[in-house]
Amino acid sequence: MLRYLIVLLDDTSTSFCHYTASNKEPNLISLDILRKAIRWAMTENLTIQFVYPSHELLDEWNETIETIDHVKIKPATAASTSDADVVVFEGLEAIDMPLSKRDVSIVIRTRMSDFLDKHDRLHKLLAQANRLNVVFTDVDSFADDDQKAYDEALASLSLVVKNEYVNNHPVQFNLLTDRIMLTEMNNCGAGDSTITLAPDGQFYVCPAFYYDADGYPVGNIEGRLDIPNKQLYRLQYAPICRRCDAYQCHRCIWLNRKTTLEVNTPSHEQCVVAHIERNASRRLLEAIRQEGEFMSGTEIEEIDYLDPFEIARP
Amino acid sequence: MSEESTKIKESEGTWQDGIAKTITFIVTKDCQLACKYCYLVGKNEQERMSWDIAKRAIDYIFDHESDFPEKSVIFDFIGGEPFLEIDLIDRICDYIKVELYKRQHHWFDSYRFSFSTNGINYHTDKVQAFIKKNASHLSIGITIDGTERKHNLNRIWKGEGPERGSYIDVVRNIPLWLEQFPGAGTKVTISSADIPYIKESVLHLYSLGIHEVNINVVFEDVWQDGDDALFEDQLMRLADAIIDGGYYESFACSFFNENIGKPLDPERENRNWCGAGKMLAIDSAGNFYPCTRFAAYSLRSKRPIIIGNVYDGIDKNKLRPFLTLDRLTQSPQKCIDCEVASGCAWCQGENYDAALSPTVYQRSTAICLMHKARVHANNYYWNRLFRKLELEGKREDFEKNKIDVKPEIC
Ligand code: SF4
Ligand code: SF4
Ligand code: SF4
Repeated sequence: MLRYLIVLLDDTSTSFCHYTASNKEPNLISLDILRKAIRWAMTENLTIQFVYPSHELLDEWNETIETIDHVKIKPATAASTSDADVVVFEGLEAIDMPLSKRDVSIVIRTRMSDFLDKHDRLHKLLAQANRLNVVFTDVDSFADDDQKAYDEALASLSLVVKNEYVNNHPVQFNLLTDRIMLTEMNNCGAGDSTITLAPDGQFYVCPAFYYDADGYPVGNIEGRLDIPNKQLYRLQYAPICRRCDAYQCHRCIWLNRKTTLEVNTPSHEQCVVAHIERNASRRLLEAIRQEGEFMSGTEIEEIDYLDPFEIARP
Repeated sequence: MSEESTKIKESEGTWQDGIAKTITFIVTKDCQLACKYCYLVGKNEQERMSWDIAKRAIDYIFDHESDFPEKSVIFDFIGGEPFLEIDLIDRICDYIKVELYKRQHHWFDSYRFSFSTNGINYHTDKVQAFIKKNASHLSIGITIDGTERKHNLNRIWKGEGPERGSYIDVVRNIPLWLEQFPGAGTKVTISSADIPYIKESVLHLYSLGIHEVNINVVFEDVWQDGDDALFEDQLMRLADAIIDGGYYESFACSFFNENIGKPLDPERENRNWCGAGKMLAIDSAGNFYPCTRFAAYSLRSKRPIIIGNVYDGIDKNKLRPFLTLDRLTQSPQKCIDCEVASGCAWCQGENYDAALSPTVYQRSTAICLMHKARVHANNYYWNRLFRKLELEGKREDFEKNKIDVKPEIC
């Protein structure tokens, strides 16, 4: 069921996820489209997430945005991030910037190789932040040879996270704690629970489908939302994912489409990355439990595969 | 017909069905004919496979033996008309045989070369020399649509001027073909305009000595109002003719199959129908496809699905959707609940071509009414035949000897 509407306020709105918001010049959404989006969200009972560019918006736009309850996703480079709910940093270097508010969610977009080299830089942030999301911009080129290094990086970060938990700071870190907290799939929901409206007035399954040359619109704000083969965005229609228990995985619909040509089928790389995280979460849960009672009733089974394709083939 | 015989002829099926890998070389996109129903929308005379591409494809496949674990292999050559490229094919087959031997490959002595031809060049010296050289590893199907009238409706020579049918150019080669391949069958494809000729066509093929007729309706949405009723009527007439004429003893027609027209269990019978993705097709540019139907020249409205090429190999991610496809995930609810679902086929390529979005996960049901009509006629056929056999005291014998038929769809 549709629950969220992502509104890209400008063509240069920050990416907050795996995709790159590429090759676009500043192009602000029109006031007319913005107002229609807000009205539509109200009639459909949707929560709006506004995605901001670095540059300031005009007063009229800011005032219109405030006519609806919403979430603000802003780049760390925005003139002001004090009112943001989610702040997005580009790369691990950028996180030294001061943050005006501690209870904001932090998203760090990074290449896998940078993460493997520089994950130590996250230690300080893990001690301060309440919610930290690391999003890889190149999951699709993850090599089987990188598995060990990723596993080791997560093991090293697990020590930090464990200490935070033991010291009563239960930081949420998507790569290590989401799987512990979840009891069912919690994927990105593009095309199913979430839909995106771009400055061109058209709906897209997710912002990536707006920026990618291979993307396609699924209706527009003047007409209606029309997602062909809508069922394929739902978990039950994903033969590999529906058998999987890497609940924290984004199950990125755009990466699916890009790598396998089908929105419901993930690549080997996406699955392996998510399973290394799943298994690291399992070990973290065990480690925290050595220090005292924690999340009783939650168990993460030991499994012998990193790619559920192996168990999903009919 | 012998009065004693109760052994019913069943379709031979495909060699090593289900355990053989099919590797298809699209050697040319050219053909002498311009059949009116041909699905190859992009036929042309320029795109011929080079030896370099063919060799690279074979080398890639043999260098990656563990990615092709199937016990056997069928090397399939298609076109256009494959025998237009007999020199290349001969070279490819020689190379395959030598490499299988040199590499002690697990397909050594478990391979076939397979051809679907329009039959026009069948008698030529080059084709005959090739057949003699590879006789024990060959299967060749010649396409003939039925009576002269029916065949010439669609299967006409290419070129300017008045239409010229190809029947006599093909039929003259049938005796030689049947002498060399006595069990050979033919494939017939039925479109809307062909329905009135089904009965006479099948009987005509039997009269030419062809014992196995594999016959399918096209998957494309070509059907007109009332076609299903006409189709049912033709099949009932054919059923009567086969039973009354005793043809069932030694001739087979894939339209009639005991296993079709039953509900399917959602758990146990959830397999995909079509073999796309388990096969591999290679075109003249060296691109790999999950099946030839995904190459640009066979698609009406979608981009080709290319899963790799002879230089970079197969992108296994692109195979994952095909290898995890099941019946329920791609079928609309009416098919999941359908009382006559078994035997209702689909073609993944046509599903993709007809889908509302670029996906192989939307099953096209353009043949729905045609399948239901076939089920009615099929029920009639078996009820009549079994009753006849019972009255003759031959039913039990039949049940003992019967073989399950797996219909061919492509
Ligand atoms: S499909 Fe979902 S996970 Fe993938 S880029 Fe879009 S929003 Fe992110
Ligand atoms: S790990 Fe793979 S199978 Fe599991 S949810 Fe993620 S993409 Fe789907
Ligand atoms: S297409 Fe029609 S006949 Fe075939 S399974 Fe679906 S509902 Fe049944």
